[in-house]
Amino acid sequence: MTKTVRKLFFLWEYEKEEEWINQMAREGWMLIRTGFRKYVFEKGTPGKYTYRVELLDKGMNSKESNSYLIFLKETGIELVGECNNWVYLRCKTAECRFDPGDRPLYNLTHLLKLQEFFNTLRNLFVTCIAACIVGILILEHFTPNPVVDFSKGFCTGFSMTMAFAILLATPFFRRINNKVKVAIKEMYTRE
Amino acid sequence: MNPQDNIVLTEAVFYTLLALYSPLHGYGIMQETGKMSGGRLRLSAGTLYGAISSMLEKGWIRALPGEEESRRKEYVITDLGKCIARTELTRLRELVENGTKIIE
Repeated sequence: MTKTVRKLFFLWEYEKEEEWINQMAREGWMLIRTGFRKYVFEKGTPGKYTYRVELLDKGMNSKESNSYLIFLKETGIELVGECNNWVYLRCKTAECRFDPGDRPLYNLTHLLKLQEFFNTLRNLFVTCIAACIVGILILEHFTPNPVVDFSKGFCTGFSMTMAFAILLATPFFRRINNKVKVAIKEMYTRE
Repeated sequence: MNPQDNIVLTEAVFYTLLALYSPLHGYGIMQETGKMSGGRLRLSAGTLYGAISSMLEKGWIRALPGEEESRRKEYVITDLGKCIARTELTRLRELVENGTKIIE
């Protein structure tokens, strides 16, 4: 028996997403496939699998990611689904070989990957905003006509949305930075 | 890398080097290190993958030629790796000696 759930998590809500998937597993619903905003679950023994949402260094089809995923497979970790560089992994709870979340080195590695990913995204957004502003300034020199007006409106709306997205993600950036600091401090005293 | 340099190995790296005195693949390393430490050390996949990639780069271990890229790979310690492990053993001995002297 399977069921499909449609649910939206923002990119920075990956922890919430992972927790939700694991909660479903504890209730006997094992994630077997993912799509955009789509999660397919299969009925199974509650708690049989533990899930993890992880960000890969490189794209899914790169040699590095490929060899990493093959390595994981050998150790009993299955790939359930993917979305861009994000992968949904699972292993049998009894023989789980995921890194425990309390290891500073693991935390730091993962956090730096996240930081890089989101910095790239933010830079892209900022570049788009800058392009829109330049666009608007250039359009000022044209005599108003429907096309110019539309373009101006579009540029304004687009850059506003981007700016709003960056603002929305600010607390997330701050949280990651704080976590990085904590992990580094932790590494002064333990491995 | 000069083996004489003062390198402090992580537990995962030291145990992996020990396990690779005979060739093993990834999952074999996990089982062997678990056995050696009496079940105390449970290497996770991510940690081991990181350790292996880093040691391959440094030339402490090498991959045995397999049939295909996608087949499960076996690894074995190199002479440099053995030298590193020996240096680490000396360091650990010093720790144990000093610890014993003062604590017990």
